[in-house]
Amino acid sequence: MSDDLPEEFDLIVVGTGFTESCIAAAASRIGKTVLHIDANEYYGDAWSSFNLEAFNCLLEQPNFTLRNGSYIWHGPESKEENEEMEIVSWTRETLLEKSRRFSLDLSPRVAYSDGELVKLLIKSNICRYAEFRAVDHVCILSNDELVSVPCSRSDVFNTKMLTMVEKRMLMKFLTACNDYKEEDELSFRGRTFLEYLQAQRVTDKIGTCVMQAIAMCDANTSFEVGMQRTNRFLGSLGRYGNTPFLFPMYGSGELPQCFCRLCAVFGGVYCLKRSLDGITQAEQSNELLVSSAGKTLRAKQVVCAPAQLPASLARHYGELKPHISRGLFIAASPLGNEELNKGGGGVILLRLLAEEGAREACLLQLAHYSGTCPEGLYIFHLTTPAISEDPSADLAAFTAQLFQANAPQILYSAYFTLTAQTIPKTSTAMPICCTAAPTYELDYDAAIANARDIFDKLYGEAEEFLPRAPDPEEIVVEGEDPSALREHSLPEDLRAQLQQMDIAE
Amino acid sequence: MHGRVKVRTTEEERERKKKEQVLKMRAYRAAMTRIQIKRSSGELDDELLNLTVQILLRNPDVSTLWNIRRECVLAKTAQLQQAMQAQEKAPAPKASEQTEKEEEEKEQEQAKEEGDGDKKSATYSEQLQTVYATELDLTEQCLMVNPKSYNSWHHRCWTLEQNPEANWQRELQLCNKYLKFDERNFHTWDYRRYVSAKAAVPAEQELDFCTEKIKVNFSNYSSWHHRSLLLPKLYPNELKERPMSEQKLKQELEMVLTAAFTDPNDSSAWFYQRWLLGGGVQREESAEIVAFRCWPHKAELALKTSCPEMVQLKIHLISAQNSLELDNWLPMDANKTQWECGSIDLHANSNYILESDGQRLPLSVHPKDESLYCFVPPHSISTSCSKELLAELQTQLKSCMDLLDYEPDSKWTLLTSALLMRAIDVDKYHEQSLAHLIKLEQVDALRQGYYQDLAQRWNMEIALAKWPETKHFPLVFEMPGKMKRTPYVQYLIVADAIIECD
Repeated sequence: MSDDLPEEFDLIVVGTGFTESCIAAAASRIGKTVLHIDANEYYGDAWSSFNLEAFNCLLEQPNFTLRNGSYIWHGPESKEENEEMEIVSWTRETLLEKSRRFSLDLSPRVAYSDGELVKLLIKSNICRYAEFRAVDHVCILSNDELVSVPCSRSDVFNTKMLTMVEKRMLMKFLTACNDYKEEDELSFRGRTFLEYLQAQRVTDKIGTCVMQAIAMCDANTSFEVGMQRTNRFLGSLGRYGNTPFLFPMYGSGELPQCFCRLCAVFGGVYCLKRSLDGITQAEQSNELLVSSAGKTLRAKQVVCAPAQLPASLARHYGELKPHISRGLFIAASPLGNEELNKGGGGVILLRLLAEEGAREACLLQLAHYSGTCPEGLYIFHLTTPAISEDPSADLAAFTAQLFQANAPQILYSAYFTLTAQTIPKTSTAMPICCTAAPTYELDYDAAIANARDIFDKLYGEAEEFLPRAPDPEEIVVEGEDPSALREHSLPEDLRAQLQQMDIAE
Repeated sequence: MHGRVKVRTTEEERERKKKEQVLKMRAYRAAMTRIQIKRSSGELDDELLNLTVQILLRNPDVSTLWNIRRECVLAKTAQLQQAMQAQEKAPAPKASEQTEKEEEEKEQEQAKEEGDGDKKSATYSEQLQTVYATELDLTEQCLMVNPKSYNSWHHRCWTLEQNPEANWQRELQLCNKYLKFDERNFHTWDYRRYVSAKAAVPAEQELDFCTEKIKVNFSNYSSWHHRSLLLPKLYPNELKERPMSEQKLKQELEMVLTAAFTDPNDSSAWFYQRWLLGGGVQREESAEIVAFRCWPHKAELALKTSCPEMVQLKIHLISAQNSLELDNWLPMDANKTQWECGSIDLHANSNYILESDGQRLPLSVHPKDESLYCFVPPHSISTSCSKELLAELQTQLKSCMDLLDYEPDSKWTLLTSALLMRAIDVDKYHEQSLAHLIKLEQVDALRQGYYQDLAQRWNMEIALAKWPETKHFPLVFEMPGKMKRTPYVQYLIVADAIIECD
């Protein structure tokens, strides 16, 4: 690796996960010089996506963020074994042949169409690097069957799940939530959302839809939180598709890279396969001396992903504990009926409950239109907060609900644990900011809040967090009169017309 | 600050825009002047066509320019057609006495010429198609700028009409595409009806398309309207008492109520439902006689709806002995629903029948002065409908009442349930439907006058329907309450006295 890097930076960011990339981009946008490094040879850290082969390698070699990895092939190894079957189906060989067509997320997420992430992408103009697919269905499990929850007005109109009066009830309930203001409904303050729902005289079927899919509540969720979640769901409806969610094309691993790209456009320097080896305070200045790959760099500030801390510092941050249990399945047939998977299927989101609502998991089913797998295959991502070191045991309660009745043709299954440290609130050991590991959430709200917090801590609240990046035509080249109208910026046909006129004159 | 990108300020951006505007204006003026000059000197050529393109692409609604384009296209096509005809008529050169060798050569040449000729005529018709294609492309581009540009749609129709080889299937695809972008653009729906008629698209297929669009977004007057045109053709009602066959009507009622329940504040579904519930929409709109009275010196006639000209209406008084045509009718009111005519040669003690356009009405003798009269109330109290449809109407009414339980102030539900009641049994539900109107006056005060008017109509309808059974019929009619402007007033020509209540 060529090492003609500059040796002084305003900020060194270690780890290219979502949160770190966000901070790097924000700092670079306000004119800070940024060095962004990652010990891994890929972008994204615990937020990354992998092709099938690389994913298997990762599971075989545990690292700081990922452990307890395992995978099993369920289908036949190769075609020879499979000769008696008439239809040529998928084998281990054919899957591996298409390895590069997979984009397997460690931390799959969806985004609310009007949520924090989408707002941030639009506000910062990073959206031009990103591409999304609207989630096709938000589902609930009803008698072991996947049922699409009617979200939009046309869904409610077309659904056969509800009677005419139920349709009215659901629409009325949702409209009431949408119009809800803090000062209304004082009587439900301090009570649960379930109590509020029951007071609205809705039927059981509607109650299930609202609790499981729309408000995403359990029996203990407070009225205020339930209302807030319902409104988040409703506020994101009707923006991009039939459901309120978006899924990043080619996987969630694309998103950190969008932020990195913006950082690089504004002068950020990138270096992969480079770890943070040590860090000390410089004498007689506030600067930090960062040693990496045998070199010492000077930085005013350092932000680091917890898993990439040097061993000497990591002990200050407590031990690594299982944080999220993940399951990943590749199947040759989808979950849910044909109606749900029309035209080859898209993206389906399903929130699962177990132990009477005490535990929950999130299922994302991806078809090839999401850009994450070859045509004819489906990926199921299962995510739940970890309760043990055994991810498959953690998820057993959910896989049982999903796969027993529906029995999709699973070809491959993998399990792993994502870890996190218990970070002490006041860590004065080093003047270094640590980001939080990915939490269990649907969207990126917590990660963005974390990035914004750290940014504010570094640069104060007066600095804007990711202001809009100008489009190329808005940028004034040095020495140019900013109010001059150059010919090449005119619309083409007008230019041609004017040229013709000049010739005629 | 160092390292920060310099971006134009809004002030600088405004200045740039201004400069651009000036240039645009200059280009526009120059092009317009040039167009006027060329047109007045009759130069309807390609240059003129190109000049209009530049302006139309920015503003597709300059009618003048489209007119000029049409002149150019007509000039161009006329030229091409002339050239084609000239070629067809061109006589083959006659063979004269020549040596064999020369003749052979000549033949070869001729063959060559003929080949050229074929090629040329092919290029002529190809050129013709290119002219039309250019126009279609331009309208398509203009519709991208403004999808509701009347001029562009019109020009597209005009171009297709000019071309005997127009590709209507392609136009249908275009409609599909545009309705995907905006399923509510009534221009596109209108154009679709025009195109599907030309392309002879089966009505079933159109109905399926229409259903698909309603599924996407039912808040769409255009697609409901499209349905209302297709259904009576596809599922005709034998008795013409309902807009379509009862079986289909049942399905439609179910679908539209689902839409209405999903969003009761969306008026489009309710309007469609009212059309579905309206009876006899299919009846030919010919004048219908509702009351008649005649004395030896004159006759009075009342029609259901106003009739501007009585000439077409042949009205006969028929008895066993003779048939009498009544003519020279004069209007008695401004609405032209009441007419009178002069003396009639009536034979006493004969049974007369009034006949007109398929209507045959037996006349009775008036107890007062032995004049002859007949009377047909506006709506019969018991509407005839099949058991299945009645069951559907009752289910719908039940759903509406359930909904009112839940939302007692829902305007459209109140009105629709009242209409449903009247469709099921006017007499039984009369009071209850009026109660709904009174409630509506409160919850929808802006349309108070409308509801009052509707209540008066309904009161009058039932009073007229029940009148023949009262003992004072046809001498005295008792008005049902106070009326500002009496509806159905023409029905009362058979009455001698009208009593107003307080």
